[in-house]
Amino acid sequence: MSAARHTAERLIPGRGSLARRQAALLRLSTGIAAAQDEAAVYRAVVSGLHDEALGYNFLGVFLLDEEDGDRVLQASVGWPDVPDAWRVPHGRGVSERAIEDGELHYTPDVTREAEYLPSLNSGSEVDVPLQVEGRTIGVLVVESSEPNAFGAEDFEILTAAARQAGIAVGRARLLEAERRRADEHKALLDTMQDLVGELQLSRVLHAVLERAVSLLGVTGGEVAIYDEERKELIVVASEHIGKDSTGTRIRLGEGAMGAVAESLEPLIIPSYHEWLGQSAQYADVVVHSVMAAPLTIGRRLVGAIATVHADPQRGFGPEDLRLLNSFTPQAAIAIENARLFTAERQRAEEQKALLDTMRDLAGELELSRVLQAVLERAVTLLGVTGGEVAIFDEERDALEVVASANIGKDSTGTRLAPGEGAMGAVAQSLVPLIIPSYHEWLGQSAQYSDVTVHSVMAAPLMIGRRLVGAIATVHSDPARVFGDEDLRLLNLFAPQAAIAIENARLYAAAQQQREYFETLVSNSPVAIVTLDHDHNIVSCNPAFERLFGYPREEAVGRQLDSLITTEATRSEAVAYTTEALDHPVHGIGRRRRKDGSPVDVEVLGVPVIVDGQRVGLMGLYHDITELLAARRDAEAANSAKSQFLASMSHELRTPLNAIIGYSEMVQEEVEEMGEPGLAADLQKIHTAGRHLLSLINNILDLSKIEAGKMDLFVERFDVGEMLDQVATTVRPLVDRNRNALVVERDGELGVMWSDLTKLRQMLLNLLSNACKFTEQGTVTLRAERVSSNGRAGRETLVFAVTDTGIGMTPEQMDRLFEAFAQAEASTTSKYGGTGLGLAITKQFCHMMGGDVQVESVPGAGSTFTVRLPARLDPLPADAPEPN
Amino acid sequence: MAKILLVEDNEMNRDMLSRRLARKGYEVAIAVDGREGVEKAKAGAYDLVLMDMSLPEIDGWEATRQLRAAAETSALPIIALTAHAMSGDRERALEAGCNDYDTKPIELDRLLSKIKALLPGAA
Repeated sequence: MSAARHTAERLIPGRGSLARRQAALLRLSTGIAAAQDEAAVYRAVVSGLHDEALGYNFLGVFLLDEEDGDRVLQASVGWPDVPDAWRVPHGRGVSERAIEDGELHYTPDVTREAEYLPSLNSGSEVDVPLQVEGRTIGVLVVESSEPNAFGAEDFEILTAAARQAGIAVGRARLLEAERRRADEHKALLDTMQDLVGELQLSRVLHAVLERAVSLLGVTGGEVAIYDEERKELIVVASEHIGKDSTGTRIRLGEGAMGAVAESLEPLIIPSYHEWLGQSAQYADVVVHSVMAAPLTIGRRLVGAIATVHADPQRGFGPEDLRLLNSFTPQAAIAIENARLFTAERQRAEEQKALLDTMRDLAGELELSRVLQAVLERAVTLLGVTGGEVAIFDEERDALEVVASANIGKDSTGTRLAPGEGAMGAVAQSLVPLIIPSYHEWLGQSAQYSDVTVHSVMAAPLMIGRRLVGAIATVHSDPARVFGDEDLRLLNLFAPQAAIAIENARLYAAAQQQREYFETLVSNSPVAIVTLDHDHNIVSCNPAFERLFGYPREEAVGRQLDSLITTEATRSEAVAYTTEALDHPVHGIGRRRRKDGSPVDVEVLGVPVIVDGQRVGLMGLYHDITELLAARRDAEAANSAKSQFLASMSHELRTPLNAIIGYSEMVQEEVEEMGEPGLAADLQKIHTAGRHLLSLINNILDLSKIEAGKMDLFVERFDVGEMLDQVATTVRPLVDRNRNALVVERDGELGVMWSDLTKLRQMLLNLLSNACKFTEQGTVTLRAERVSSNGRAGRETLVFAVTDTGIGMTPEQMDRLFEAFAQAEASTTSKYGGTGLGLAITKQFCHMMGGDVQVESVPGAGSTFTVRLPARLDPLPADAPEPN
Repeated sequence: MAKILLVEDNEMNRDMLSRRLARKGYEVAIAVDGREGVEKAKAGAYDLVLMDMSLPEIDGWEATRQLRAAAETSALPIIALTAHAMSGDRERALEAGCNDYDTKPIELDRLLSKIKALLPGAA
């Protein structure tokens, strides 16, 4: 895995690849999150953005001094001459705009601005406001020495950086304030300790006891406070009971005070030494009768008080009990105050310690560990029973619990739909929520019916306005409730958890992108290699290794072209590579494998350009050895076929010329000698010879067209004259079936620049077909010159050959223009012909930039229409017209 | 009657065309390849040459160029005869210095009209 990641990271070399930018952004984000105080946030922003992969070389963070409107420099990179805490006065420098309206401002050329401050760079500048909770506190200034240096991607990156910095500054300020408060609180409590400490408590309790003893007229007594944790009473004041019982620990139910502490009811014991509940610890006291009462706050036990008579003559009555009860609240309050005070002090100490340790969390990337630690600290600091943290999964639109502490079950892995339960509710409303009694709350989730939870406080975790998760804390103690103070404390943790989630997400996205790219490249059947500026191989994929036979370790670091070219192809390959550093190149060439064997490849070279800067190039090689061999074979075969057809037709035509020539000549001689019977036979030989010749010519034409060897010879000719010639030539055919030929000229036909011979051949072919399939009908040749799309010089000549013959069905028309596809085999025997004429006509039309179409009604006749450009350029159709 | 030199390597074509032209009253001399054609044309006083283009030794194109280059034959009318009605043959023939061209197989009437057009006094 690590080796594979290594490959992917290095696939695009140099500065600013996507993966490297993402890694830089992640470092930036982590750096900002790890900053322990506000100054560190500013340093983290500038140093994070001043990354090779991002390419920001001149930047700084200014804070607005609200008193005089100056901007005060907090941190900067690339400005060597500015002093620490440099002040830019109100009204100077373009960066003030971002502070004024709280928007990003891009100045493509600062020298054109009135506020331009010559001490900085004279290029372009981006100013991004720095905001904490919607209030602009300063500005992030990023400069370039070049004008027009920034674009949309920069705005996005800088906006994100400023936003993260804003969150971090907000959190740092909050944390700082909180630490200050904790410090103050602890100092205050320490002072109070001296004033009203435990000494004071025992003095108060002694005073209470003394007054009770004298008022009740008893011998003596005791006061104890209740230690909730150990479920014991501790005697803190003792008067005249025959011993100093201070410090005695009494279990619940033990002795008089233990009894009232358990029953929470006062108790009178007329004769202590006969009482069954007496404690062994009090066996040696000089006591006759005892009156004891619990000390409570509400129904909660805080201690106990007891008074005794040593005199057997004295006893306790209801009046004594009433008097005692007038002292108990005072004692109870004194105890409770002291307890609260101690607890508060302890909590303040814990808070301070926790806030101090929070910095340790920042920068940790393993999400579940961070969130568990954040949760545990939140639980301790808020003094709650437990809690949970969940991450929002955007794809599933659900929360997933990833950290859970002491809520009566391990809820890790639980999925919550938006609106479900406390965290689901805050994920939907995006505002914190306090639920005083969870089990009575209507929004509770069935997944939490078994938790030991009384009250709940939950808050959404946000990055800007985007939900990333939720946090919840719970009290299982019904006596505890959540208040604004708790909410304030919870908000200390929320941003940290949110940033941790966001960092983890960014990291995962970068990782995924990298893996995706890596998979794509390593599974590609195309050989891929990346090079640096000096044509050295930076990386290559397995297909490259297979194609050229070089293992990656051997290839990396070597010059590509010296590795896979021969002497003969090196200069061509180097030229490709050099060109590909500038713009994409595509071509075919021969390369050499490691074993020396040649390989024909299709090469695609692409420069790798990031942010307008070339960082290297990527080469793609596709093995086309077999393809080229197949093409060479096909070309050789085709050339042999053309050669054969050319020589064949020549060999066939020579004897044919003799047959045609001699039959014609002998016919003339025979006619002169007066032998009409023989002349008719010779005419048949002559006609058959001519037919055979036309067949051979057609086959030769078609094979030439197929081989791409039919050339066009464009010449200038008069269309009217051409029509006259064609009409004359076709005359004997017209007469044969007693047809009439009509030649129609619509308007001025003018001259054409085209292949006269081919046009004549096409028209003769169409007319000869028309004559062949029509008897005692009319064959019409119509010609017209029309302008195409109204454009001068782009005129078309339309030639239509219409007959009143047998016509065709749509099915017959479908295959009409295919070679050897006379409508039906039977027509060949009846009408003759090769079935090649229309195929040739169609091909000729296409070569000459036009087309041929047919309309026909069976039994009524057919019309073939040829459309050709009046001026056919000998060059490709899209070349400029000759003047 | 006009004297025509027929330069043609194919015996049957030569025999046929010479006989047909003779019957139309022309005096026909024969050359069997390009070299002989050039020699005879220069030596004898012909009124017109019918030149087959695919000839052994030197071909019809080259023979025509040589005749045009020589002072005594520079104005001698030459009709090129080409095998198949190839587009461009006409241009090539005229470019090589021929006065006209016709395609094989010969249509006698057409060829005769071209011959008549080029003979002295025809215009």
